Amino acid sequence: MEKEPTNGEKKLTCGDKAACMQLLEMILDGQADDDQCAQLESKLEKCLPCFEYYHLEKTIREVMKSKCTNKEVPKDLLSNIREIIAKA
Amino acid sequence: MSDNPRQEYSEQEAAQVFDEEFMPHIDAMYNFAYRLTFDEDEAKDLVQETYLKAFRFINSFQQGTNAKAWLFRILKNSFINDFRKKSKQPAKVDYQEVETYYNSDDVDFKGTSDLRVDTVKDMLGDEISNALNSLAVDFRTVIILCDLEGFTYEEMAKILDIPIGTVRSRLHRARNLLKDKLRSYAQSMGYDN
Repeated sequence: MEKEPTNGEKKLTCGDKAACMQLLEMILDGQADDDQCAQLESKLEKCLPCFEYYHLEKTIREVMKSKCTNKEVPKDLLSNIREIIAKA
Repeated sequence: MSDNPRQEYSEQEAAQVFDEEFMPHIDAMYNFAYRLTFDEDEAKDLVQETYLKAFRFINSFQQGTNAKAWLFRILKNSFINDFRKKSKQPAKVDYQEVETYYNSDDVDFKGTSDLRVDTVKDMLGDEISNALNSLAVDFRTVIILCDLEGFTYEEMAKILDIPIGTVRSRLHRARNLLKDKLRSYAQSMGYDN
């Protein structure tokens, strides 16, 4: 049986990419249970594609969150809402 | 508006619920509205309309349940029912593309990306923002709800009126499309990719 190529300790190919990506997305989205989360460390330690996928997805989420949620609310919006409700 | 049993708030209680449970979400609501409409005035109108509806139907809101998810659902419905129809902006959705993506809940997790972590970190806010804005509204929406606002799959299913399986598959496809856009940006901007 052919041995999987490795990069140091990490495998260069993922044996079950679909299942791993699904699991990693659930972990990043906070939707995984404790047993699933417990698999994260060993996956990232042993598998280069999983390691790269996880860190890319994590980075995209972090960068988006820091750069796409900063639209300032117009100053008069709050007062307009209160005014209309007070008249209702 | 809600599956919750109807409440009967006094005027004072209603004002308290409105101030303490609804108003703290105005920043997130405005950001969501702006990402849907791409127009400051329309976003403002959409948020205002959402809050007025929330006040009118406040007895459908059960105190202690997720006010933010409840408000986002109203905003999303207002956008679909009213704003998208009268919006100056033409619909950008390629329905054929969307249907092809949506027809199955099966998710293709085989896709991979040669986009690098450092490339994404080096991108400017505008590049990230433009990539997100360029997605069809249904894909953009799931990314906003999940990645920017932190809703769970279950909450997203309720906000969007779709099954959880569809939330997961739509989200995965949206992220793949986003990575395609980011990769294109990276190449066009000459980032080392």
